[in-house]
Amino acid sequence: MEDRNREDWEKLFGRFVGTEQSEAAAEDIRRGQTLLELYPAPQPDARLVASIKRRIAGRLAHRHRFAHLAYRIAPAAAAVIVIALLGRFRHGPAGSTQISYASLIPTAIWESDDINADDVELAYFAAEIEQIEAQMRALEAGDADSNGANALDEVEVELLRIDTEFWKE
Amino acid sequence: MGSSVELTRIIDGCKSGDAESFARVVDVYAGRLYGYFYRLTGDRNLSDELLSELFMRLVEKIGTYKGGSFESWLFRIASNIFHDHLRSRKRRRKLLDSRRTEAEFQTPEPKVSDAKDEKLDKLQFQLNRLDDDTRELIMLRFYSELSFKEIAEARSEPIGTALSKLHRGLKKLREFMEG
Repeated sequence: MEDRNREDWEKLFGRFVGTEQSEAAAEDIRRGQTLLELYPAPQPDARLVASIKRRIAGRLAHRHRFAHLAYRIAPAAAAVIVIALLGRFRHGPAGSTQISYASLIPTAIWESDDINADDVELAYFAAEIEQIEAQMRALEAGDADSNGANALDEVEVELLRIDTEFWKE
Repeated sequence: MGSSVELTRIIDGCKSGDAESFARVVDVYAGRLYGYFYRLTGDRNLSDELLSELFMRLVEKIGTYKGGSFESWLFRIASNIFHDHLRSRKRRRKLLDSRRTEAEFQTPEPKVSDAKDEKLDKLQFQLNRLDDDTRELIMLRFYSELSFKEIAEARSEPIGTALSKLHRGLKKLREFMEG
């Protein structure tokens, strides 16, 4: 193998040792290099080189697809952010955010004076509310063993589904 | 590679994600890099792996190349990959040693076979008698064709130290070969 830089070994060694020593050291280096040239290392297999090129092309194509996808979804992501920001400004500062429970009891029952007729339905709604409250507490506490676990699972499955379908596009 | 202008054009192509430019880099440097890995490991399969790893890393890192000697930069990545391999080999060896110690108490020692998967040439056999650091320095000098100043910089050591190690290493190698 040719010495690309045509290194001047004597001069290089001369910076550290005397002339005589530097000449001997330079000769040692040259003889060592000749020895290495006598035993050339094997070359890479043509199939390996082809496989490396294929892998590089694959990696680049994947990267290109990702960039293309990012470019495609960027306007949608921007729109979501704008909508979220507008919603935030419309509803006041973040500090006032709190969880609110929607009323499940129809107005007709609230306004009805017929307690006897409403009793069964009230009991039913009260039970429903208790169950929902229990689920909310479980969700807030992150308790997987409670009734909230199913709801969390559903959300997780839904997220996984969205994630998978998103990358298939 | 014809000229530095051509190399610059190819590197620009790589930076813009052109597969053809990467293929050109593979064509130009694969032989020397393979020789470098092979002489350091003495194992064709492992050299295949390290060479593939190197070019994959090149795809990831080409954006960080900011000029200067491309060869020096490329061989520095090759050197890092080899050192990563050495570290993982040490970890594996430690793990194997600890497992072997455990196994020695449980089962009789298996008969160790001297047969190698690959026939090593005489040079490879003698190279393996040198320490990893010296062997790497010799191979870096021989295959990268970098100037000694570039090699010393790539290894982050004073030029005199690298020069002395190379001299001693090559002299010792010649003695092994002649002995």
